[in-house]
Amino acid sequence: CSKINDINVSPNDPPIEKATPQVLFPSAVMSTAGQVGGELDIIGGIWSQYWTQSPIANQFKTIDSYNLQRQDFNRGYNELFAGALADYQLGITKAKEAKLYNFYLMCTVMKAYTYEVLVDLYDKVPYTEAFQGAAKLNPKFDDGFAIYKGLIAEIDAALATDYKGAPFVGSSASTDFVFGGTMDYWLKFANTLKLKMYLRMVNTHAAEAEAGIRALYAAHAQFLDTDAGVIESSDKVSYFTDVTDQRNPIYAYTVFNLGGNDLRASKTLVSWLTAHNDPRATVYFGTASPISIDQGNYTAPQSAQPSYYSATAPAFKATDPVYFLTKAESHFLQAEAGVRYGVVSAQTEFLNGVTAAFAQYSLSAPADTSYQWDNTFNSASTARKIKRIIYQKWASFPNSHALEGFFDQQRTGYPEISDVYSTNPLYTEDTRIDPLHPINHSGQWVYSKNGVTGGRFPKRLVFPDSERSRNSSTPAEVPITTPVWWGLPNK
Amino acid sequence: QNKTITGTVTSKDDGLPIPGVTVKIKGSNQGAQTSNDGKYSISAADGSTLVFSFIGYTTQEVVATKNIINVTLSTDSKQLSEIVVTGLGINKAKKTLGYAQTTVKNEDINRSASINALGGLQGKIAGVNISNVSGASGGSTKIILRGYTSLTGSNAPLYVIDGVPLNNARSGSDDNFDFGNNANDIDPNSIDNISFLKGSAASAIYGSRGSNGVVVITTKKGKAGAPVVNFSSAATVTDVAFVYKPQSEFGQGWDGHFVLGENGNWGPKYTGQTLPWGSIVDNAQLIRPFSFIKNNVRDAFDRGLELNNNISIAGGTDASTYLISYNNIHSNGVLPGPADKFNRNNFSFRGTTSYKKFSADVSMNYVSKVGNFVATGQGPTGVGTTFYENILQIPGNIPIKDLRDYKNTFFNVDNYYTPFAENPYWNLNENGSRSKSDRFYGNINLNFKATDWLTINFQQGADVTNSGARIWYNSNYPLPGSWVGGANTEGAVRKPDVGSVEEDNFQNFEYDSKLQALFNKKFSTDFDINGLIGVNYNDRGSRSHISTVEVLAIPDFFNLSNSSNKPISTETKLHQRLVGFYAQGTLGFRDYLYLTVTGRNDITSTLATGNNSYFYPGANIAYVLSQALGFTNKTVTYVKLRGSYGETGSDTGPYQIYNTLKQTNSSLGFGNLLFPFNGVAGFSINDILYTTGLKPERVKDYELGGEFRFLDDRLGLDFTYYHKIRKDQILNVPIAPSTGYASQLINFGELTEHGYEVALNATPVKTSWVKWDFNYTFSRNRTMVKSLPPGLDKVILNADGYGGQFVAMAGQPLGLLQAPVPAYDPQGHVIVDSQGYPIAAAENGTYGNFQHDFVMGFNNTVRVKDFALGFTLEWDKGGKFYSGTADLFNFVGADPKTTYNDRNPFIVPNSVQRVLDDAGNVIGYRENTTQITEANNDDFYYTTSNKALAWSRDILDRSFVKLREVTLTYNLPKTFLRKLGASNATVGVFGKNLITWLPSGNHVVDPEVSNYGTDLASEYGEFRTAPPLRYYGASLKVTF
Repeated sequence: CSKINDINVSPNDPPIEKATPQVLFPSAVMSTAGQVGGELDIIGGIWSQYWTQSPIANQFKTIDSYNLQRQDFNRGYNELFAGALADYQLGITKAKEAKLYNFYLMCTVMKAYTYEVLVDLYDKVPYTEAFQGAAKLNPKFDDGFAIYKGLIAEIDAALATDYKGAPFVGSSASTDFVFGGTMDYWLKFANTLKLKMYLRMVNTHAAEAEAGIRALYAAHAQFLDTDAGVIESSDKVSYFTDVTDQRNPIYAYTVFNLGGNDLRASKTLVSWLTAHNDPRATVYFGTASPISIDQGNYTAPQSAQPSYYSATAPAFKATDPVYFLTKAESHFLQAEAGVRYGVVSAQTEFLNGVTAAFAQYSLSAPADTSYQWDNTFNSASTARKIKRIIYQKWASFPNSHALEGFFDQQRTGYPEISDVYSTNPLYTEDTRIDPLHPINHSGQWVYSKNGVTGGRFPKRLVFPDSERSRNSSTPAEVPITTPVWWGLPNK
Repeated sequence: QNKTITGTVTSKDDGLPIPGVTVKIKGSNQGAQTSNDGKYSISAADGSTLVFSFIGYTTQEVVATKNIINVTLSTDSKQLSEIVVTGLGINKAKKTLGYAQTTVKNEDINRSASINALGGLQGKIAGVNISNVSGASGGSTKIILRGYTSLTGSNAPLYVIDGVPLNNARSGSDDNFDFGNNANDIDPNSIDNISFLKGSAASAIYGSRGSNGVVVITTKKGKAGAPVVNFSSAATVTDVAFVYKPQSEFGQGWDGHFVLGENGNWGPKYTGQTLPWGSIVDNAQLIRPFSFIKNNVRDAFDRGLELNNNISIAGGTDASTYLISYNNIHSNGVLPGPADKFNRNNFSFRGTTSYKKFSADVSMNYVSKVGNFVATGQGPTGVGTTFYENILQIPGNIPIKDLRDYKNTFFNVDNYYTPFAENPYWNLNENGSRSKSDRFYGNINLNFKATDWLTINFQQGADVTNSGARIWYNSNYPLPGSWVGGANTEGAVRKPDVGSVEEDNFQNFEYDSKLQALFNKKFSTDFDINGLIGVNYNDRGSRSHISTVEVLAIPDFFNLSNSSNKPISTETKLHQRLVGFYAQGTLGFRDYLYLTVTGRNDITSTLATGNNSYFYPGANIAYVLSQALGFTNKTVTYVKLRGSYGETGSDTGPYQIYNTLKQTNSSLGFGNLLFPFNGVAGFSINDILYTTGLKPERVKDYELGGEFRFLDDRLGLDFTYYHKIRKDQILNVPIAPSTGYASQLINFGELTEHGYEVALNATPVKTSWVKWDFNYTFSRNRTMVKSLPPGLDKVILNADGYGGQFVAMAGQPLGLLQAPVPAYDPQGHVIVDSQGYPIAAAENGTYGNFQHDFVMGFNNTVRVKDFALGFTLEWDKGGKFYSGTADLFNFVGADPKTTYNDRNPFIVPNSVQRVLDDAGNVIGYRENTTQITEANNDDFYYTTSNKALAWSRDILDRSFVKLREVTLTYNLPKTFLRKLGASNATVGVFGKNLITWLPSGNHVVDPEVSNYGTDLASEYGEFRTAPPLRYYGASLKVTF
């Protein structure tokens, strides 16, 4: 006998019991890509001083003036937790049930990657008590370091399964936008991610960092030799197309929808590219000599800064990929491990990194010492080596991977903070008395002209209202200028 | 011996004939009715008694001794026999009701030829709030009985027409388009009367659908007699009732300088000097004085025209009657061209017949409507922009009217004066929407009179709508190197409009069946009982299919095929059923004390077994004191006291108890990533967490009141106090994203409302040729949020997208407007940042709530012989609302508030700056000396750069006084009409919404308009919506 409520099963949405890793995983990957390569890329790009707000528009003034408050960035946080991470988590559960260990590893690595972004932006987030729905409405916040350790343990557990033996049935390999189902790459991504997480710890958990990295090398871990991201690894063709709701996120956001009047080249990046004749200016800005705006100087009237009104916009394209971890970045991470612990040749890895960074755009590096590492440089100080690596990393991240430049600066202090604002002629004056120690400030970060934090740079995001107002376990708010757990202390 | 008796029945009040009076021979079933001219004819035995009865008049008995008997009926002054329509369409004597009941008649509904059933009743009924949310003909009418008590559910009343629920869908409507609500489709001419059941005692019989009150509509029937033709025609001119008033001191520019291509009023003061303006095309430029153009905004609009024609034929025999009517509405609104054209055709048939103990009543209605609607709010990002947003961005020295020539060299896509906005007339002419709807509704009603005290009734109703909408945005690409394409002085390039087409199809259906037994028996001289018992089955739902394609391949061709993109389609089906068992009984004692008890048990398809059966009880008492005590004096003619208690509920929608996945659509903020992505399907966990433990919302309602009439009925007072509690709110409660969900759908929270309604009627003057009727209504309603789920400090009801929110907070009045506020130091100084702008406090502050302190209506009708003059004033006092128009109005420097300090540099008064330590912690404050420079004056008025103060300019006082309606009618003399073969004719002129008075702080927008729908969320305010309209018209009504 039929009951009156038999008709109450939705014909519009499938029941949650029917979820499979094959539909959850690609959804979550695009959710991660949409935020990391979208709104967070905008913050990362402005705070890494690749771009700045144009005076003819308004959209990103709050970011460029370091004036972000708890109401401002709810969406990215919500999307990463309730969108991406919740789907990875259910994907892990479903993959384990179905013994699809390949999806188990894929979901685990991407979960770790996405979590790391949150930890690095917010310092603490719920981890051990997250994703429990009504059972835990006020999940506690775990310390960033504890979350890192938890994530590494999760990756290790997934790597211990027979993930290479689990088949991709039918066309399910195509649901892997990152590596197209090549599990060797997932192993390398997992290892490189661990390396990156250990390197994050060098300032505050030096012993754990060193032990973890030495263990990786002792086990002959292989690291990424291709780009991880929403990009076809074989032919470097992006999966994004210039079609409704399939566009590269930062392009869709800032150009297609907002009209492209907001972001402009920042003097900080442009001065560095110009000083080094870096051909990537054309990649990043569509011209070999971009016209730039001094960081955050968007209130300057046209009469005072006429060139601002013809400043160059970033050359975003609808078909740009979103990178999670590039091949160049992998080599630079290895180079840094080599510098710090001697576990690998820093020189080789640095040069591989530079080559990969330019190869990413089918270019080759200019002849400038900054891009080189000859044998004599092997005797340079650790600080100088790290500086050279990080500048190269910083210069490789614009477009869809900008957040990483922001994190590296907080971790290493490179690029340095300029003691003059970029409108000062000294900023770009090339007075190389000692060719190894130019007093040229090009590329050094300047405090935003309209910054509201009294000369202090932003180091994190404050917990969004969506979490604070609904979760009583949310820790007390700390200033946006306070470093996260692994960051260099404020001077 | 039988003889034929004839005569005329007239009214004692005005001497006019009364049609439809029942004439019966006492003690027999024989009877007749008076015709349209009040005449009757009946065959009766000599000496038998004729009984003349008619609703509202005292029944009169006359012994048949003559062949011609003329009777004069006097109105039933003590309201003792007034019959009104109550729940389920049951007619009852008003005196037996233990709750407030208001009925309006056809004449009141159609006085100003409103094309909507309830549009003509604004300000006339206490506790019934009626507003037109958009100015467009065919747009929605918002009706709220008493106040809002459901946070996120519906607060709209249930509409019942001739006993059958009406589907009141607003298919396809959103913040951009209002295609109208279905209840608006009823032809107002065909309505006989409307009863408003405001409280739960009155609506308890509707159980889980009665919690927001019920609007009971009864349509006209034919009457026995020769065919009667009614014709009415009205022509109405419309114009804009209120537009924003820009400042007139400063002209085009930005940062204090004149800039040719800027869309703001941040330039220098007007000089009157003749200057070039706009784009430079081939080294040529237009010139005009640099001065403020008066009536610039108003001249952006034209006059509109609305025609409302109706014809009906009715008649019948003693056994059968018929009524056929046709109504045509043709309207073209105030926007130039056909962008806001609307047509509606209503065909109605109503027939009744009886045979022995059987009788049947059939109603069939077909409504066809086609309308063009103009987008309000913001256009879809990346696709196109809207007329209203663009018109706001025209500086005061640029003649808006001239821009209508949007293909002119200087105003076209390439050379419009600014790259930051578009020519609004391009939007108006090149973009648009067309909504089409075909709808059938009606019912078959069968009665079997089993005995003289028992009737069995079966009614089957249906309401089926097929509708669709097409929305198009044309594409345009400013030519690179043109003025808009980068040659303007700031080098800005306007984003191209890629264009889009959307095709929507909607089907709504509602089938309602009921079988009931009605009984009515007098047991003794002291007691009588009437009641009913029945069962009701309701099946309703909808199917929708929406397809959209963006980026047009061929401009100006609108088809889903016209793109390199594939269309994106969504389908949604909703289906729910309800079975209700109900009973109602009224016990009367000596015609002055009545106790009514009702009960209804509903079983719904939308909840889980064990949770889906609910009982709703109700009871009310009416005590006619004047009759009980046998009042005979003329000073106090009628006193009735009443009290009631009722419980109702609010059904949940379908599919709200089981957890689901959703097709993945990841929001970027601006834009989305939608699956299938690159040929791969994706589903994500639904952001809403459901539970099978869900229950319906539950309302408990107490009401006390009294009706008093004094001075031979010249003065009347109706007073009602009510207290309503709504529990188990179905709330989509936001939960921390770290739980894996964005929200959880649960029952929780409690809202209470209480209020009172006063209706005062007076007839200060009443002579043989002058009569002045005065009607005053006052209502005050206060809704309080008593509790919310634990850990939840507020429920967000609506938000403006910039940071302002419309919220419910526990212990607070419902509907607080919360938005960023400045941060203050412990001494109360405004804290400003290093640039001198106030810093927004970490938490939003409260700017007030939306609820009015009171709503008053003043209605007057003065009749002098055959002339009648009526007018209605409404005064709504207090409350706040958010205006997205004000936001843009400030951004472009048009608001008079932006002329503060004559736009000279200033320091925010009484402000301090923070002193920070190295970690960024605040360790003290120092006096602020940083100026807001002349060039930065504009940033001070923009939401992004001065978040702390923006809402203090955007949140406005909701108060208004409106002259709602003025009507003047003249009944043509009968002698003249007879020559034309007509029995009755009236000509009239009328005006609606003639004058709007707003408080001094609001130069921007009429607080009644909204593009946030027709429910609680709409009370947040508006976002760059259309202005309200004013109507002037003339009407003619003739009866043949």
